[in-house]
Amino acid sequence: MSVLRNIADGLRFLFRKEQVSRELDEELNGFLEMAVDEKVKQGMSRKDALRAVRLERGSLDVAKEIVWSARWESFVGNLLWDTRHALRRLRMAPAFTSATVLTLALGIGATTSIFTLVHAVMLKSLPVANPSELYRLGRESRCCYTGGYSQEKEFSLVSYELYKYFRDNTKGLSELAAFPAPEQLFGVRRTGKSEAAQSYPGEFVSGNYFSMFGIRAYAGRALTDTDDQPNAPPVAVMSYRLWQERYASDRSVIGSVFNLNDKPFTVVGIAPPGFFGDSLRNTPPDFFLPLNSEPYVQSDADLNKVDTHWLELIGRIQPGANPSSIEAEMRVELKQWLRSHWSDMSANDRARFPEQTLYLTRGGAGISTMREQYEHWLLILMMVSGFVLLIVCANVANLMLVRGMERRRQISLSMALGAQTFRILRQPLTESLLLSSFGGAAGLAIAFACTRLILRFTFPTLAGFASVPISASPSMPVMVFAFVVSLLTGVAFGVGPAWMATRVDPIEALHGSGRSTAREGSLPRKTLVVFQAALSLVLLSAAGLLTAALQKLENNDLGFAQDRRIVVNSDPRLGGYRSDQLPTLYRRIHDSIASIPGVSSVALCQYSPVGYGWGAGVWVDGHPAPGPNDDNSAAWDRVSAGYLDVIGTPIVRGRGISEEDTASSRKVAVINEAFSRKFFQNEDPIGKHFGTEADNSRRYEVVGITKGARYLTLDRPDGAFFLLAEAQADYSQTNLGSLFLHDIVILTRPGASLSDAQVRQAMASVDPSLPIISIRTLKEKVATQLTQQQLIARLTSLFGILSLVLASIGLYGITAYNVGRRTGEIGVRMALGAGRGQVVRLVLRGAFLLIAFGLILGIPLSLAANRVLSSQLYGLNPYDALPIAIAVAVLGLFGFIATLVPAQRASSVSPAEALRSE
Amino acid sequence: MTDQSSDLVQGTLDMLILKTLALEPMHGYGVAARIEQMSGGIFRVNAGSLFVAFERLLRAGTIKGEWKTTENSRRAKYYSLTERGRKRLESETREWTKQVAAIARILEAS
Repeated sequence: MSVLRNIADGLRFLFRKEQVSRELDEELNGFLEMAVDEKVKQGMSRKDALRAVRLERGSLDVAKEIVWSARWESFVGNLLWDTRHALRRLRMAPAFTSATVLTLALGIGATTSIFTLVHAVMLKSLPVANPSELYRLGRESRCCYTGGYSQEKEFSLVSYELYKYFRDNTKGLSELAAFPAPEQLFGVRRTGKSEAAQSYPGEFVSGNYFSMFGIRAYAGRALTDTDDQPNAPPVAVMSYRLWQERYASDRSVIGSVFNLNDKPFTVVGIAPPGFFGDSLRNTPPDFFLPLNSEPYVQSDADLNKVDTHWLELIGRIQPGANPSSIEAEMRVELKQWLRSHWSDMSANDRARFPEQTLYLTRGGAGISTMREQYEHWLLILMMVSGFVLLIVCANVANLMLVRGMERRRQISLSMALGAQTFRILRQPLTESLLLSSFGGAAGLAIAFACTRLILRFTFPTLAGFASVPISASPSMPVMVFAFVVSLLTGVAFGVGPAWMATRVDPIEALHGSGRSTAREGSLPRKTLVVFQAALSLVLLSAAGLLTAALQKLENNDLGFAQDRRIVVNSDPRLGGYRSDQLPTLYRRIHDSIASIPGVSSVALCQYSPVGYGWGAGVWVDGHPAPGPNDDNSAAWDRVSAGYLDVIGTPIVRGRGISEEDTASSRKVAVINEAFSRKFFQNEDPIGKHFGTEADNSRRYEVVGITKGARYLTLDRPDGAFFLLAEAQADYSQTNLGSLFLHDIVILTRPGASLSDAQVRQAMASVDPSLPIISIRTLKEKVATQLTQQQLIARLTSLFGILSLVLASIGLYGITAYNVGRRTGEIGVRMALGAGRGQVVRLVLRGAFLLIAFGLILGIPLSLAANRVLSSQLYGLNPYDALPIAIAVAVLGLFGFIATLVPAQRASSVSPAEALRSE
Repeated sequence: MTDQSSDLVQGTLDMLILKTLALEPMHGYGVAARIEQMSGGIFRVNAGSLFVAFERLLRAGTIKGEWKTTENSRRAKYYSLTERGRKRLESETREWTKQVAAIARILEAS
């Protein structure tokens, strides 16, 4: 009751302050008058009575102050007053305010968005139960298949049989689940609906996959061990995303039948929202299928191959179990299993048997291929944004210091008049807090926008697919960290000078009024400017280095043409094709697309540039067989006739794959120059034979040599590479993955345009159940390889420019401030005959001394930073002096401009005026 | 400008004000003068302390204030005891008497 009344009274006070204050005045006055009346009645003069009352009862103003400050709401009132006052002061200094807020916002925003990304990719656990109990097999991720009974360094992938051996024998694990290392797409069509097949990523998982993760279905049920048996009815679990986006959360999806690669599966449940499987991937799976349904779907099934290792393992340890003893247990099991296959092992495998081992590592974050892929980039961005945050703090500190200096006289005056230290410090404190809050709010917005932008550039999504499961909302711990850092900087450098000013004897401070302290307090500010200059030099030269590397990449001769080329990505497996049906399918696709008006020529291939390629060992006919330590590897691609013409790679000698290469003619291969150099140093390769198995070195005859190209990566020219003819493939081998061609490359006529719809129609006329994964120009495809580099180079440049601007502002600030303080001195110099040029030189000399110090500090730092950069990225030359030279020049130019303005102002001062200003 | 109210035992000013107001509703100066008079001039109440105490008692709901005209036809705020104030005065007086008696016993014991 009384609390309520207290609050009500307090609010009345706050909102009707004037009336309450008037009442108090009246009451106190009345009190005074009555006391005086009393004294007058006793015979005092009115004047004496007033004096006596004041002595006896205290001054009215003091009484009023006491009554006021005794109320709780006076604190709020003061706060409001302070805030209003601070806002007014900030409004009166728009340049200072906007510079500080912008600096803070950019710093907080940039740092937060980068760290949000780092957090999501590098640190975050999977959204599953108790991720700390999860352990995975292998220290490094190794995609995607390895054969035989020995693995280099560690056994990190296992076959289904080995998985079962581990699962059934390892006692320290409560669950051990398996799933394939390679990502996989499925052609999906809901039965009973007339929709075209769509491709979605899916994953085969062991029956205990969901129970191992401690994940329950959102609707329906999850997969169980009974689903994961040979000949169990085929069932699937759908992702929440697909269910929601594609099927509008329709309950009837559960229980209905979907054709995956033309094989019916019953959807029994929906995975929970936010669950994206076992690894952070660009495209998380939309279907989870039992491992044992793999032979049912795939014509080239791996499940029952004892020595094909393609499964990743994640297990949950028993509560309290020791992971290293489980590791030891599994090492013994590995040896036992290998020994049980001793008769199947090759001589090599047996020789390497003693060193076979395995490692368990923390699996809470899942399989971290993405982490390894992006680690370097994120590390660089992290360093860059860390630098930016440092510069931002330096700049805020600088701005605050200038403001603090300006306030010194006022503070001295207030102190002299008897103000309390706390009351004085509250003002800069409120100001700093306000500025930090504005900066933080704006920073939050920037962080949002920036993270979205980076996500879009870094992980481009294909239409219809799930996007990378990383939320653009800034990670709060990081946001709070950046905010607190900048807040502390602001408060420390905002309140610090004010506090120091309160410690100075007011008389002395007022007496000196600006002259005695000319040099005092400028050392920290100068240090900050030097520091800023050094850091922005580092960022600018790094930006230069990255941009140069990017330009080199963009302007490289790729060895193939990009204009007028369109790549259609599909996969016959998604349409449920068997290998013996493929030649007809390829012929029909070729003819159907070639008949579209505007198409000049068409070719199919396993992989079009830039990206993947398969590897093989090469045995050259007539050469000694390579020893165990000889490198006889080469990359290869299977292509249809006319491929080299379509892709535009020039032939140096001989011919390309053509129509004359048929199933019945001699088997041919076309090699690149690197292949020729590697395997035929001093011979003419044309007409020579090689094979990809030790016992068949006469399999292919070399009929042509192409120019070197960059099919595999833009970074560097391909090594040894050869092309084989699609028409000569052995389609009787039912489980040969290389028979399935993924890409259709179309060359259009000059000036002709080809719409996606035309291509889709042509493909649908061949087979409507064959899904198209993507249609894009070769240019786009190549550009996606560059997006990361572009993003890094652009962000670093952006940060570099930002830091340059900040450093310039800092330099301008300190120069302008010093010029202001030295107006008197300059006046005296000019009165004594110094010319304007001399004054300008005087000011510039001071500023350039700072820049010079910055460079002395910054050049070795830049060299070191560039060394680190090039250890992370291919194709950078850390000793390239040009970027550093340019950065030095740019920094010098900006420094010159930033100091010229105050220097000009100093020189235009008239001596008489300057002397009067004292 | 000595603060005579510091001679008051902490917390007793509220009680004295309540006691004064229990006799009749009174304005600020009246209360001060009455306390001074009744204490035989020993307690002199400072305006600041007095009005802070009024504020405190108002918010606690033990007194209420009302603007009235004085006998000298001046406007003044008259304070009077509420029911809650009356009860508090009673309990505080009881408590106080008990304490004073106890203290007196201790002091006399020596």
